[in-house]
Amino acid sequence: MTAVAIPTLETERLILRAPGPQDFVPFAAFYASPRANFVGGPLNAEGSWRMLAMEIGHWTLKGFGRWTVTEKGDDTAVGMVGLFDPEGWPEPEIGWDLFNGHEGKGYATEAGRAARSYAYDVLGWQTVISLVKPANVGSARVAGRLGARHEGDFTHERHGFMQVWRHPAPGDLADGGMEAYA
Amino acid sequence: MSALCLDIPIVETGRLILRGPEARDFEAVAAFFADGDRSWGFGGPKSRNEAWRWFAGNIGHWALNGYGFWTVETREDGQIIGIVGLWNPEGWPEPELGWVMFEGSEGRGYAFEAAQAARDHTYGPMGFTTLTSNILPGNARSVALAERLGARYERDFTNVTGDTEMAYRHPSPEALAKAQEQEGAA
Repeated sequence: MTAVAIPTLETERLILRAPGPQDFVPFAAFYASPRANFVGGPLNAEGSWRMLAMEIGHWTLKGFGRWTVTEKGDDTAVGMVGLFDPEGWPEPEIGWDLFNGHEGKGYATEAGRAARSYAYDVLGWQTVISLVKPANVGSARVAGRLGARHEGDFTHERHGFMQVWRHPAPGDLADGGMEAYA
Repeated sequence: MSALCLDIPIVETGRLILRGPEARDFEAVAAFFADGDRSWGFGGPKSRNEAWRWFAGNIGHWALNGYGFWTVETREDGQIIGIVGLWNPEGWPEPELGWVMFEGSEGRGYAFEAAQAARDHTYGPMGFTTLTSNILPGNARSVALAERLGARYERDFTNVTGDTEMAYRHPSPEALAKAQEQEGAA
């Protein structure tokens, strides 16, 4: 049976929920913009649709994936953040994309922290990375804010050269990784 | 918990089971896409990484559209022999019925049997009133199957990658029912 059970997470300001067709417009607008250059864009509408479909199928194939991020009280997608490990990835990562107009509010850090807590506390992961394009200064800043350190590099057939940032292990997080539920 | 549930129907024929795609199907899908001679008419060849993204996208297609490609396995021994189903991503002119048989599964009428069952399910429980199949020029095997299913060439169109493709139109649900009636009366 093809199952895809996607949990909903809640942070102080955000809801992380299952992606769906209602997210296509903001998702495609982000991927059409130069802001998506660091994450496999820009993509036309066809490419964005397939990318969104892939994000959903990722949950079925791997048992985890990325969530649509919304602000509390408004179901409009403001980003996509979560756990990503498609075929060919060096190891599972936490990825964060904030859609156009929603950057600069700390949402990536807030949602990324919730995704990491889910990986450590629910899935039992012992480590996790984030892949960052060298020119993506904003993303590197989020990684740094989450306590990750640039430890090496990786080159991917589609995404090219990327930095590998390693997050603190569960035991290295001050409160044992439960920070997103505090 | 879950805001997203995929309820993919199981369709059975005399020899085959059409079921929702699962992680364990991926090796067969990757092998198909790696073989350009087999997959050129279906967007291939694709690297293993790109095949994975296509396959994940096929599952997401079910979530976004409510339909997609089933994995086809044999009733007798559960062998994964191909994929058959409906495809209508962004940029497609309309939903189409597609079919792929993996290596070693051709020549036994499986594609016809699976495609016919998929079409019956699409016209029946899913309530579609028409279906096309898009075929790249030169894909004679696929044309032969479309024609065996009663589909007829309708027009050429330019697909999302800029290639010219042939649209075949399947008989309507009413036309199929009438044909079956006549068969039954004969």
